[in-house]
Amino acid sequence: MKEDKDNQLFRHRLSCINYCALCIVHCALIALSINASAQSRVNRLGEVVAWGKRPMKEIGVQKTSFDSLALKENIALSMADILTFNSSVFVKSYGRATLSTVAFRGTSPSHTQVTWNGMRINSPMLGMTDFSTIPSYFIDQATLLHGTSSVNETGGGLGGAVKLGTLPSVAPGFNLQYVQGIGSFRTFDEFARFTYGNDHWDVSTRVVYSSSPNDYTYINHDKRENIYDDNHQIIGWYHPKERNRSGSYKDFHALQEVYYNTGRGDRFGLNAWYIRSNRELPMLTTDYGYESDFDNRQKENTLRAVASWDHRRSSWRTGLRAGYIHTRMGYDYSREVAPGIWADMTRSRSRVNTVYGQAEGEYSPSRRLYLTASLSAHQHFVKSADKNVILQDGDRAIVGYNKARVELSGSASAKWQPIDRLGLSAVVRQEMAGTTWAPVIPALFVDGILSSAGNVMVKASVSRNHKFPTLNDLYFLPGGNPNLLSESGWTYDAGVSFDIGGKKPFPFSMGGSITWFDSRIDNWIIWLPTTKGFFSPRNVKKVHAYGIEGKLNVAFEPAKGWVFDLSGSYSWTPSINEGEKLSPADRSVGKQLPYVPRHSASLTGRLTWRSWSFLYKWAYYSERYTMSSNDITLTGALPPYFMSNISLEKNLKFRPVDLQLKLAVNNLFNEDYLSVLSRPMPGINFEFFIGITPKFGKK
Amino acid sequence: MLNRLYILSLCCLLFSCMKWEADSPENFEATTGLFICCEGNFQYGNASLSYYNPSTEVVENEVFYRANRTKLGDVVQSMIMYDNRGWIVVNNSHVVFAIDPVSFRELGRIEGLTSPRYIHFVNQHKAYISQLWDNRIFIVDPATYSITGYIEVPGMEMGAGSTEQMVSVGRYVYCTCWSYQNRIIKIDTATDEVAGEITVGIQPRSIALDCNGKLWTITDGGYDGSPYGYEAPALYCIDPERMEVERQFRFKVGDTPRQLMVNGQGDRLYWLNDDVWTMDVTAQHLPARPIIESNGTLYYGLTVDPVHGDIYVADAIDYQQQGIIYRFNSAGRPLDNFYVGINPSSFCWMHNAQFTMHD
Repeated sequence: MKEDKDNQLFRHRLSCINYCALCIVHCALIALSINASAQSRVNRLGEVVAWGKRPMKEIGVQKTSFDSLALKENIALSMADILTFNSSVFVKSYGRATLSTVAFRGTSPSHTQVTWNGMRINSPMLGMTDFSTIPSYFIDQATLLHGTSSVNETGGGLGGAVKLGTLPSVAPGFNLQYVQGIGSFRTFDEFARFTYGNDHWDVSTRVVYSSSPNDYTYINHDKRENIYDDNHQIIGWYHPKERNRSGSYKDFHALQEVYYNTGRGDRFGLNAWYIRSNRELPMLTTDYGYESDFDNRQKENTLRAVASWDHRRSSWRTGLRAGYIHTRMGYDYSREVAPGIWADMTRSRSRVNTVYGQAEGEYSPSRRLYLTASLSAHQHFVKSADKNVILQDGDRAIVGYNKARVELSGSASAKWQPIDRLGLSAVVRQEMAGTTWAPVIPALFVDGILSSAGNVMVKASVSRNHKFPTLNDLYFLPGGNPNLLSESGWTYDAGVSFDIGGKKPFPFSMGGSITWFDSRIDNWIIWLPTTKGFFSPRNVKKVHAYGIEGKLNVAFEPAKGWVFDLSGSYSWTPSINEGEKLSPADRSVGKQLPYVPRHSASLTGRLTWRSWSFLYKWAYYSERYTMSSNDITLTGALPPYFMSNISLEKNLKFRPVDLQLKLAVNNLFNEDYLSVLSRPMPGINFEFFIGITPKFGKK
Repeated sequence: MLNRLYILSLCCLLFSCMKWEADSPENFEATTGLFICCEGNFQYGNASLSYYNPSTEVVENEVFYRANRTKLGDVVQSMIMYDNRGWIVVNNSHVVFAIDPVSFRELGRIEGLTSPRYIHFVNQHKAYISQLWDNRIFIVDPATYSITGYIEVPGMEMGAGSTEQMVSVGRYVYCTCWSYQNRIIKIDTATDEVAGEITVGIQPRSIALDCNGKLWTITDGGYDGSPYGYEAPALYCIDPERMEVERQFRFKVGDTPRQLMVNGQGDRLYWLNDDVWTMDVTAQHLPARPIIESNGTLYYGLTVDPVHGDIYVADAIDYQQQGIIYRFNSAGRPLDNFYVGINPSSFCWMHNAQFTMHD
């Protein structure tokens, strides 16, 4: 009996050693590739710890993690850019520095839940998150939880969840980093970070400011300019070369973080993120209005703050979080009716206050059992005023709504590893919005190591999920539909992954996974026109989304001093409308949902030699249908496109400072493309960055 | 090893592939028939124009694009024929196109508009364009495609204004004031000023003139929760000279009557209210039964052939695919159907140079 236990323990240790060895090779390779960036190095070391374990918390979880190299590639990037080139989720971009949403596995953007340091940041009004307003330099940890796996974090992620966070540790002493970017279209990006760390305190202040008239040129294939003779007869025509009109932006972000670590297992933290954004909304390619006649602008002031307390002991951990989100959004659409006199056509104002609280605990009574529980509450107060109306009696009134809603989400899970090679996990989640309780959300996960050699692991999971209608869905005037039902569905996935590594013929590591998924979503909510001239949401569709996701990572050192790192991902995502025909003429049943590509892929390759680094990024989306019937018309086609970006970086070390010089080229092949109908995208463009990191007397 | 890396890098450099349509404009030679304005989806710029010849039962879709190699724009609102030209109002593209109705080629365009809804001709050198979000009706010279002036509507705020459909009676043009409005205004075309008005129910949208010289309008009643009010929609018969309501027919609260029009003789009214309804202009009560029942359909547009009396009903289906047009005879018996563009909502007839607009 004792021998069995010893053997078991030995196998377990062997498995861990194999895993750790593999991870060390991988991380050593990557660490080589970033030897010049102090900040990156710190972040990478954090990842070594994560790789070295096989956390029970992640039994059966399908996730994609982003390393600091991807997140800190350059200061001009938003999380939308990061996800486009480093994952196969679909990023629907309405233009440069314009609304960008993220959708998993053929679902809609509102089916993607987003958390920041544990707090859900989806708009309670719209349900979605604009990833173009999240600078990647403000994010230290980013993880995609695909499908079922999101239930571990939150409910409502019918497609999945994006988990964003900051790291609670900084390098010792005072540190400063400043980066300036100057790019095409008079784009200026500035980033500064100050940190201070000692045994107990970690303090970080980050600031980003980005601005640009964003008036890039493009050939407008949607328009034709006529050439007239003196008698107003058309004698010729051409597709005009136009500028992106009304596209300027000025975005300011500040992130303050303070952590206090008692050194006895307790850590207190405070994160506060302020956003001040002033963006014009670009005119459509089909707009013949004069840019100077209209002002179409969105302004946002947002504060997100989270206070946390983490209490760790050898076998258990508890955590408390409290948070607050304040967002004021203004949308103005006005027309100059006489020189200097502007009339408001739309003057929309919204104010959102969200108070958040969460308590969570984890307990591991033995090394084979792990229990977690969590309870979170988001109390939203939303005031939306969308239009000024002159009443019949001449008084003025506001069209809008003023609503509050509490959202509770509680979960309990048990993770069990009966043997080293097998992990089982069960999660039960219960959610409530307003006074409505959703049915219980169950999720089951299983994983197992098929082979220690190659670390071949299989994973499978199943869950039910629900998503409540948003406040706009229910109450927006005009059109809100208080009778909407929650969207709900079942998701299944299964996959296999591997990780190998070694030192011959040269140090290398390789990892990959392939996952099959299948989701059925009922009562899909969609906003449609009405016969009264406004839009209204309805539960209209039954959707079957299924497909395959694949990932592959390769890193090797082909010659001394050289490191090559390649990551790729691919998704095949049929997302089929399986509802009833609305009428005999309805040709949408059995067809792919509009604006959901069947195929998407991304590839990132990095070649590093000493203090030089070359990065190549590539993304692909197959054709997106613009009609539910999948008909492709001359005026409704969105052909597939490839996008390629490159950058070259050189790090210089001097006694007082380190310098980082980088040139980024976006849309390398000057692709003339559209992501969304009538939304122009920029051609080839450049940005040069210089980073300065003073050493403050350190070596 | 470096060579291998180089080759690998080259393999990764996959080139761009999005191709743009470079075909030459197509040649068309239309005779008589029906233009169908398909709104497309708001903010997606995918409006289109279809042309249907009832005698051959052939439909041609996207004819504006095919004839001009330029998109029609974002949300086509209405079309009218005047002076052997088709005038297409594209609301969210802020433009009115003039086309040759035979070749569909663009002849010119009027720009500088706020949010155009309908164009109505006074004569060859003057037309009015109604607007949303503006208290002005724009006066344009169709010969030069230029804006020549404005008619300011009294009691209407600039950014909250809304003028909609227009009809002529003698020297006056009558125009409905729709969004958060409740009036019909009377414009003197000699002075280009508002000469009178009449208050009706909440949000009158369509207007028609019958064979007896009476105006008919239909209100939509607003919507539930609107601070402007929510009431039962109504059909009004108005004497244009006295500007008085002669008859009023109430619908039920929640009904959505719209797309009011008259037939070619002007003696029958037609409108949509889920189903297709018709009644004689002399009727004293609303009809008890529709002439054409909806059957899971989402009727979005309606027109009546001014010569033959056939009824054309547009079904938007789910608003996200090519809509279908059902053609019925004047008794409501199905004759034909054909697919057009997304969200077909308005029509324009071309009958041997005798042009009629219906919306």
